[in-house]
Amino acid sequence: MPDILDLFDKSLQKSRADQTELVCESEEFYLTRFAENTINGNIGRSDHTVWCRAIIGKKIGIAKTNILSQESIEKLIDTAVEICSEQQEDPKFQSLVKSASAGESHGFFPSTANYSAHQRAAAIQTIIDIAQQSDLDTSGMFQTSQTMLTVANSLGTRNQGKATEARLSITLSGDTDRAGFAQAYSRDVGTIDFVDIANRAINKAARTKPPVSLDPGQYTVILDPEAVADFLLFLGFLGFGGKGMVSHRSFMADKIGEKIMSDNVTIVEAPENPVMSYIPFDYEGVPRQRVVIVENGIARGVVYDSYYAAQAGTESTGNALAPDNSFGPYPKAMVMNPGEQSLDDIIKSTARAIHITHFWYLNFVNPMRTLVTGTTRDGTFLIEDGRVVSPVTDMRIMQSMLESYGNVEAVSSDRRLVYKYGVLMYVPAMRISNFNFVSSE
Amino acid sequence: MIDPLIAANIALDKAKKLGATYADFRWVEIRNESLSYSDGAPEEVSHSVDKGFGVRVIIDGAWGFCSSADINEKEINRVTEKAVEIGKASALLQKIPVKLAPNPVAVDTYITSIKINPFDIPLTEKISFLSHLDGLMGKYEGISSHSAFLDFRRIDKYFFDNAGSAIQQTIFQTGSGISVTAMKSHRDRVTRSFPANEGQFETRGYELLDDIDFETNIPIISEQAAALLDADSCPQKTCDIVLDSSHMSLLIHESIGHPLELDRVFGVERNFSGTSFATPDKLDKLHYGSSIINVTADATAPHGLGSFGYDDEGVKAAPAALIEDGVLVNYLSSRETAARIGKLSTGAARADGWGNVPIVRMTNTNLAAGNSSFDDLISGIDDGIYMETTSSWSIDDTRENFTFGCEMGREIKGGKLGKLIKNPIYSGQTVPFWNSCDAIGDKSLWKLWGTPNCGKGQPAQNGRVGQGASPARFRNVKVGE
Repeated sequence: MPDILDLFDKSLQKSRADQTELVCESEEFYLTRFAENTINGNIGRSDHTVWCRAIIGKKIGIAKTNILSQESIEKLIDTAVEICSEQQEDPKFQSLVKSASAGESHGFFPSTANYSAHQRAAAIQTIIDIAQQSDLDTSGMFQTSQTMLTVANSLGTRNQGKATEARLSITLSGDTDRAGFAQAYSRDVGTIDFVDIANRAINKAARTKPPVSLDPGQYTVILDPEAVADFLLFLGFLGFGGKGMVSHRSFMADKIGEKIMSDNVTIVEAPENPVMSYIPFDYEGVPRQRVVIVENGIARGVVYDSYYAAQAGTESTGNALAPDNSFGPYPKAMVMNPGEQSLDDIIKSTARAIHITHFWYLNFVNPMRTLVTGTTRDGTFLIEDGRVVSPVTDMRIMQSMLESYGNVEAVSSDRRLVYKYGVLMYVPAMRISNFNFVSSE
Repeated sequence: MIDPLIAANIALDKAKKLGATYADFRWVEIRNESLSYSDGAPEEVSHSVDKGFGVRVIIDGAWGFCSSADINEKEINRVTEKAVEIGKASALLQKIPVKLAPNPVAVDTYITSIKINPFDIPLTEKISFLSHLDGLMGKYEGISSHSAFLDFRRIDKYFFDNAGSAIQQTIFQTGSGISVTAMKSHRDRVTRSFPANEGQFETRGYELLDDIDFETNIPIISEQAAALLDADSCPQKTCDIVLDSSHMSLLIHESIGHPLELDRVFGVERNFSGTSFATPDKLDKLHYGSSIINVTADATAPHGLGSFGYDDEGVKAAPAALIEDGVLVNYLSSRETAARIGKLSTGAARADGWGNVPIVRMTNTNLAAGNSSFDDLISGIDDGIYMETTSSWSIDDTRENFTFGCEMGREIKGGKLGKLIKNPIYSGQTVPFWNSCDAIGDKSLWKLWGTPNCGKGQPAQNGRVGQGASPARFRNVKVGE
């Protein structure tokens, strides 16, 4: 691969724009997919995405290519400049950002970068073997990949960093409605314990009793970390970004300093946390910052890129997405503070609750109320008198996410790292009261 | 730059030498232009080019695939070797060798029939178009924010396989839409969209914009949005409903299209987007819907967003009945999945670009028109709700239990449309719901809608698909939260 910073430096010198930004995301991606105890998809991909954002006055032009060469990048800049010349002014735009060096990336592990298809197959075989001892079929996916992000602009920003990812997600299923889900994420594939993952899913799927069907209504629930992450992801998209803040669409707008969640909820954007090990800068080259979003239930702040930070009269927190996105910034490395009880102890201290592994197809019914619907999936259980008494037929929820984060009775001391749709979340399990179910399947 | 045929020959020869019993080579170049305008300012004007190739093999009875954006001889050889290596790893777990349904060799070209190439239109004209729409939307009192977008795509793709197929396709896709938001307070807002919640997308050129009547509809949706702020919320009850054509598109997509993807039926999606209740033992038996329900997968449908000449396994596009007179008769399938039920592929193996393997996707999933006028649909209801334009959707992982919502509702009383209803939602079970359909609008009300962002697969693939429908009536439906 060519030296991308060198390519960018040479290309930026030739730009006719007032300001020019070049971004390249290079990826070496491998993913093995399996179902019915067989690999049914096994892919490799080498790609680069190069963006140019050209600025003339307050006109912005964006062009993108995946051809990485000096000639292609110069052509890309010309295209962005041509768009600029035909574009109208964006009065809200201030300037590109001049950023300092973001420092070293700690998220790259050769063990992950060099992991082979045969190693992935062997790991999957380990899980299949364990699952078959409990008469369960295995499906899922195992990804090992590496990414390098390079950002340079005509104001002098120059940052480059790389990271690896290993993601494993499995569903074990039986001959009835039995199913169990478990997942793992790590920068270092060597830290993933395949036996532990298999056993976690088996613990969900290998229940012997038939599921009971519960009536719709309000219940106390215990959410596994993966279910907590399902909600947190939506809260992040809807409320924790600068675009929603400046447009007053966020539930955080006008609420900074006010109590919006339970006392035991603290949410921090923490890209520096060792379990995250994010590439330490964003797609504008701005170092990723630690941002306290909710502290002991009180709204504290949201994340910004330079465009929305300028409108809010603040600084970017290093949360810019790729230049051609129109969604606006959102947190990508959220950490929730742990509680004091283990999940097992929370279960033991619970009189009656529905224990949920994770949710499926959550979608807003009313975004202003943070009201979502969706169903439980892959392991839902009834807890009575501190123990699991039966699996439960999956149920449909209709619940305000914000209200649920205001009804948190207990937070577990043990946390898991969960990846969903490009967002990493290091989250505990939680017990939540007054959770609404509207139907049983 | 290397020629696609030469590139394919390098890959296919290499795969053969390495022992692959099947190999295909796909070269895809996607050119995209996206423009959006919001509240008096351009939000995004961007242009992209995405190009690369993928080599898929069967070796030792198992699949392998590798792909790259760097198109040169050395890389093609490396990628082909890697695809074989990956396939050999797959074979370690393969118990039954992959078998493909037969498919005739095709040497052909296909190009979307368009009148105006959108990439020939200057950017200034496109920006002016959006600015004009933005200005029109900004005129209406009570509208606090508004946005408009344009999206143009040209896909050039080549498919070659070791049986001798050589297919070149050029597909054009155009999309556009608008939305307006009325606001009482920051937390009390209503959005109306046109022509659908995600606009309209078709395999057409710039001429699509002539057929979307924005100017007539801007005042209509603006007034509706403002009026909905003070409308009653959706009641909780069981009643009859009529769904507009654009929302029928969503209903078909989620509760017929996805459940009939044969890879999902076999459990391939179990860990991600789920399974399907519509298992092969129900084929030719399951009364999926009432006897007026006839659904076809048709990649030949004119202007459909899911239209093409050949799928990404080289299977020629052709209409395939999925539900006939209410009975399940076939699936959306690939060559591999079709072979498992002893049928030919229905030509639904589609890949998102060059870097993904084809998976079973919808093409255009079309519900045949009925014989009712819109007035007939409404007049047959004593107490009910008419719902228009999708706003929310959720369906369980077996595609049986759903809750869908719309931007706007109208009360139906005594066979007449009445007052507006805010945030109407309804819930149902797939098979009973489709069996409760007792009337479908006639051909004059039928429209083929485009869905530009259907997600499926691991790694996630985006699919562009279509659904055709007229408005339809359903009896005894649970509505409200």
